[in-house]
Amino acid sequence: MSQLFNRRSMMGMAGGALSAASVLSSSHAHAKLKNDFEPRGGDGIWERLPSLNLEAYDEMSTSTRKWVNGALARAAQQRANELMVKNGMKPDQQISFEDASKLLSNDPIIAMRASSWQRLQWHMWQELKREFYDNYDAYMSEMEATDKTGPGTLELNPGIEPEYTKHEIHMQPGGYTGDPFAGHLYLYGTANFYVGQNYQDQGHAALAAAVPVPADGKVRRILDAGCSCGQQVVALKRRFPDAEVWGVDIGAPMVRYAHMRAVDNGVDVNFRHALAEKTGFPDGYFDIVTSYILHHEVTEQATYEIIRETSRVLRPGGVYFPVDVYTMPSRRVLDGTPMRRIQDWITSRWNHERWWYDYQRSDFLGEMQRSGFALNMDGPEASAYAVNLSQARARQTSGRPQALGDMSGQGGQKNIMGTKI
Amino acid sequence: MAETKGNRPTYATDFITTDIEKVTFFGNVHIDNMMTTLLAMGNELWVQRKRQHILEALLAEKGVKPEAIEKYVATPAQEQAWAKERDVLVARLWSHHDKNTGEYNFASDWNGK
Repeated sequence: MSQLFNRRSMMGMAGGALSAASVLSSSHAHAKLKNDFEPRGGDGIWERLPSLNLEAYDEMSTSTRKWVNGALARAAQQRANELMVKNGMKPDQQISFEDASKLLSNDPIIAMRASSWQRLQWHMWQELKREFYDNYDAYMSEMEATDKTGPGTLELNPGIEPEYTKHEIHMQPGGYTGDPFAGHLYLYGTANFYVGQNYQDQGHAALAAAVPVPADGKVRRILDAGCSCGQQVVALKRRFPDAEVWGVDIGAPMVRYAHMRAVDNGVDVNFRHALAEKTGFPDGYFDIVTSYILHHEVTEQATYEIIRETSRVLRPGGVYFPVDVYTMPSRRVLDGTPMRRIQDWITSRWNHERWWYDYQRSDFLGEMQRSGFALNMDGPEASAYAVNLSQARARQTSGRPQALGDMSGQGGQKNIMGTKI
Repeated sequence: MAETKGNRPTYATDFITTDIEKVTFFGNVHIDNMMTTLLAMGNELWVQRKRQHILEALLAEKGVKPEAIEKYVATPAQEQAWAKERDVLVARLWSHHDKNTGEYNFASDWNGK
């Protein structure tokens, strides 16, 4: 049974009679809401971690992550190259996982890189979780107070989660669906993942700025599929203030948190607890559908179903802009160099990216074409590590180099986009 | 099952737990465990340094000199509370050593993917 909070009727929305939304600027200070648990205040859209200790803990963890992703990652790659040459091979030679494992897994620097990255990630989650559970009632009361308030709407549909969605992806305790504070954990955990460069959702704002509009220029309704804690949804509303913007995610605690955060910032957006492959919207309802790092989190079958569902809910001429690890044609080379073999496996197995190989082997482009999309392989620039985009813009503006670690410096790369035929 | 306290609706589902804590990348689980300990210690160290920076800056604003901090004598109640806090810190730094069995190496479950 759907639990509908403050939701306009679907009939009314489908009729297209939408009021212009009020969207506050990014400099908006947090509103003081009923049961607002914000002991240390906020800065723009960022709500500070609730204790100085945890904030400092997170700062150090972020600094360590920069070193692990930067200097240590480069040293590990160098060691891999040396070991390949030492064994009579070229550094970029394609070899099997078994051979790569035999060759590299006993090297202390490569092991150090893998172990420190994995332990850092795991430890970060535990520390964040401790905080939220130590203040369980305060955080729950805060969410309960905004479940039924606007602006914007929240719809929860308990019991719809298929088994494949219940894994602890990225080692996140309880995963996207199984922890009451999944949204809280995800926001602060990914802030750490983005090494402190996304506190104001800069990466999501850069992605929203890159989203292509339909050729006729009409943007009345937008959907972000697999919206997690709603950062992209808010960013899209800020770019398209007159549009009706929706986010769907299978994590009910995710969309609860997303709604609360949007309300807290006075942003009029809507969240529905739903599968991206079964959104429940009418045919042709949206002008734009986006997804950011969604497809590598779902099964191969689910990816195909999501593409078909996206095609169904887009109107002719509407655009789909999926951004994920391999949606940039220049990155869609599944090379078998030894470090890549090792890192893919560690990502999949030990960062618990449960569906990583499903995503790699999926016929993503083929399914888009079969589902009625005209493909453009030369779409706007995007990045699966969103802060690369915002950092590239900052570099263009300031001329100063930025240091993010081994995923930095790439800026954006041409991303695919599909237009509904 | 999702962790809950009390009867408030959480909208959280049951979930499939990972076994990622049981991996060893060094071939010796104690070394991997030490990695967590050292990461935690580094974080704790910065927490204390940051608090100290803030505190001493505030104190200086109020006219408290560094010598007064050096010569401070704690009360018995303070000593007791701080000892309890140290026990929590020890658990945070070391508790994973009694959980991780190292039964998997990093390539476990590869099965020719």
